[in-house]
Amino acid sequence: MKTYLYLSLIPEALVASMLPPDEFGSYYAIGSAKRSRGQAIFFSVDRDQLSTDFFPLGDIDDRCVPHADGSPKTSIYLSIYRTLEHIPTSALLKLHLATEDGRVLTLSPQPYEATSDAQIHLFQEFCPVSPRIVSRLDPQEFTDFITNPAQPVNVPRIVFCDLTLGALHDDPSSRDIDDLPYPNLGHLRDCLRELIAGPVKPTKTVMRQMTQDVLFRTVEHGFYVGDAQSLVSFPMPSKDRLEREYYAWWRSALSTFGH
Amino acid sequence: MITLWFWLVPVASVMALGAAYYFFKQMMKESEGTVTMARIAAHVREGALAYLKQQYKVVGIVFAALTGVFAILAYVFHLQNPWVPFAFLTGGFFSALAGFIGMRTATFASARTANAARHSLNAGLRVAFRSGAVMGLVVVGLGLLDVAAWFLVLSWFYPLDDSHNLIVITTTMLTFGMGAAVQSLFARVGGGIFTKAADVGADLVGKTEAGIPEDDARNPATIADNVGDNVGDVAGMGADLYESYVGVILASAALGAAAYVHTGSEVQLQAVLAPMVIGAVGTLLSIIGVFFVRTREGASSKELLAALGRGVNGSAVMIAVTSFFILWAMGLPNFVGLWLALVVGLLIGIVIGRAAEHFTSQAYRPTQRIAEQAKTGPATVIISGLGEGMLSVAIPVLAVVSGISMAFYFGSGYQFSTDGIGLGLYGIGIAAVGMLSTLGITLATDAYGPIADNAGGNAEMAGLPPEVRQRTDALDALGNTTAATGKGFAIGSAALTGIALLASYVEEVKIAIRHVLEKGNAYAFPNGVEVSGDDGIVELGRFDLMDMMDNYEVVLINPKVVVGMFVGAMLAFVFSGLTMKAVGRAAGLMVDEVRRQFREIPGIMTGKADPDYAACVRISTKAAQREMMLPSILAIAAPVVVGLIFGVPGVLGLLAGGGAAGFSLSMFMANSGGAWDNAKKHIEEGHFGGKGSEAHKAAVIGDTVGDPFKDTSGPSLNILVKLMSMEAIVVAGVAVSFSLV
Repeated sequence: MKTYLYLSLIPEALVASMLPPDEFGSYYAIGSAKRSRGQAIFFSVDRDQLSTDFFPLGDIDDRCVPHADGSPKTSIYLSIYRTLEHIPTSALLKLHLATEDGRVLTLSPQPYEATSDAQIHLFQEFCPVSPRIVSRLDPQEFTDFITNPAQPVNVPRIVFCDLTLGALHDDPSSRDIDDLPYPNLGHLRDCLRELIAGPVKPTKTVMRQMTQDVLFRTVEHGFYVGDAQSLVSFPMPSKDRLEREYYAWWRSALSTFGH
Repeated sequence: MITLWFWLVPVASVMALGAAYYFFKQMMKESEGTVTMARIAAHVREGALAYLKQQYKVVGIVFAALTGVFAILAYVFHLQNPWVPFAFLTGGFFSALAGFIGMRTATFASARTANAARHSLNAGLRVAFRSGAVMGLVVVGLGLLDVAAWFLVLSWFYPLDDSHNLIVITTTMLTFGMGAAVQSLFARVGGGIFTKAADVGADLVGKTEAGIPEDDARNPATIADNVGDNVGDVAGMGADLYESYVGVILASAALGAAAYVHTGSEVQLQAVLAPMVIGAVGTLLSIIGVFFVRTREGASSKELLAALGRGVNGSAVMIAVTSFFILWAMGLPNFVGLWLALVVGLLIGIVIGRAAEHFTSQAYRPTQRIAEQAKTGPATVIISGLGEGMLSVAIPVLAVVSGISMAFYFGSGYQFSTDGIGLGLYGIGIAAVGMLSTLGITLATDAYGPIADNAGGNAEMAGLPPEVRQRTDALDALGNTTAATGKGFAIGSAALTGIALLASYVEEVKIAIRHVLEKGNAYAFPNGVEVSGDDGIVELGRFDLMDMMDNYEVVLINPKVVVGMFVGAMLAFVFSGLTMKAVGRAAGLMVDEVRRQFREIPGIMTGKADPDYAACVRISTKAAQREMMLPSILAIAAPVVVGLIFGVPGVLGLLAGGGAAGFSLSMFMANSGGAWDNAKKHIEEGHFGGKGSEAHKAAVIGDTVGDPFKDTSGPSLNILVKLMSMEAIVVAGVAVSFSLV
């Protein structure tokens, strides 16, 4: 059986597994006997691009062997904490989004291209920290900003996605926000107003850390992985395409309560 | 002598059953679609059949016991008409048959509807609606068949040229209404417990605990949930409305016999036949109405709704017009007044339906307000839903009391005096008959709903393309809108029939006293009036309804009446409490089973292993059979116990208190539950945060609380009220002969 490597974002970890991505996502979300549930977001990783100095990959094939009954080994944790920064963006082959009932959607990478002329963005960071912020920077600018070693607050590499702001994008006081599921919308409005009113500040923290799963339906354009040198995006298919081609995943994604 | 008018009844019955058979065959010619679609439908069909087999076994035992009791009362104690045990059995049998045929049709129709929706919305509508029409036409066809057969048999033994015989015939026929009521109580309570145990169990573990979407094949309870839609919403509703339909016709016929007793047997016979003839003509018009429901290929939802409305409203307008000529041609005195009463019945049915729609549809403010309250959590959703539900009772109750007043006024010859009480009550009965005269098509719109709902489930589980699912969703939404009107007619007629049955009860009491006198005994009324011998029988015949009220001292300061009223009101609440708790317990068992399967059958979630659907069906079936017994026995025992202790005044108080509280509570529970359900849908449509939001979570809790409200306790209360009335009539002899105080 083949051994796969996955970079999990929740929690940040490098995991070896004999399960292919769909099965690993399902296992990671629901466990082996449906005793657990929880959204999973992880990358398939190109083993050849990993540094053996940092990751203990030497004996991985000896450790990752089938169980006595022939069933595949589901997971061996190879690394936790500061894992992402040791994996180059080019080694992140695919992004897999597992719903809490174990349906998996796979996204492919492509070089970042600005997809909108939006002035304000709502970003959910996943790794290495997980605040939710509003920003006047687009994904490329934000990546440059947050991975700049000259800044007092920076990270070496980051994974985040952009979330929809709906009518709040143009008017933070808009009442036409019926389909926005975010908690404490009043605070989000305040953050947006503050950002617009004070042009010096490029970002404003809405939530210090992710307290519940992201509702995939709120992802605006997709996920981004970047550092000071590169930015790769993993675009989400359109809602129409999700409805038509990935209906099972989409239905599960819509059914989640973001626990 | 039986007039020509009567023969319309069996003719309409045969035509209704023939049309139902035709629609059934047409539906069966349609394809079930893919192998997966057919497999899912087969699972549901097998589960529904297994449930009904088990239910009929249990109900069969109850019927055998009750028939034995009635036989003893009739043949040993001579307290009852000797026909009662047989009439009781046929009522139960036909009620069960109506539910069974409707359910079988629905379970054959769901996959075929989904498959037809793959071609067009109109094709899906045609299959679903005509399958619903099978149920509607079978209910009225069997109802008219039962009525016609018993009338023929009894008129053979009790010649129609004697006025008293017509009263005996009609009150005897009422007892098959009790058989239907007992069967429908079990069907509604058992079906209601089954469906909500499966629904709540499936939702709690599947949606809330495991995060699985609704109607997902990985959920072990999902087939039981779909089975529940059929056994509760179709078989239960079919049995229920069969009972309502025959109950309305028979109660009105009995009132006609009593009201026109002094006018000569010819007019009296026409008054007895009029409700049956209106029902027969309404059935023929319903068949015509079914053919009105058609539209062009590629029609929009709005056009389909208009097509459904054309069928239902067209039939109602036609019965309003034709009944004028029927009443005129039958030569009934005050035929214009009676016709106006019938029109009043149709109008209040529409008002109740519209009021229910206003308070439960997300298109209107009450439900939107509940959804808005979800922003502050589940507690405010519950509070708001309870409040809106309580407020929603006002319009239907006011509509019913207005209807009662107007129908009484028109029926009695334009007066409110108690001098014309018999005629006024007959007017109320005719109003109720008017409401249910086109049941064939209004029930088609009701039964169509669960078929479309199941078709949607089938499309989901079979993974049909989005446009098909959108079409089945549109069909489901259409059904919800039209069903509100159908429910309005059913609920309104139940309230009016309750009044009619009170009068029938008093007539049955007179017959029971006559039995006492015929055995050579004297009978003393509570007010001291005593009757005995042949003179007593003559004197008894002269007592009108108000005389009987005087004789039994049926006044509000009589403690027996007040006690009965309080017990009746209490029963409505206790019955609801028992059925609600039954759902809670049964749902708990379902939750345990679903958890067990997830734990012990690896691969369910990844789709590598099939869940054990049958185990969940078995659990719901067993739980429903066990849990339905106590509330049902309570309903059956109450009129006997109250009659034995407090006599006729106590029973009248029980029926009045139970009727008033039961009707109001039923409306409250049905509307609260419906509003909670649609408040959740309103949020899912993208309001107050939409799917996955905190408000959505709160609304799901409201919907779960409302499930047993709207689908178990609420609908069962209507039957409780009617069953108590029917049973009081059947065991009137016991209250007359054995009351303690």
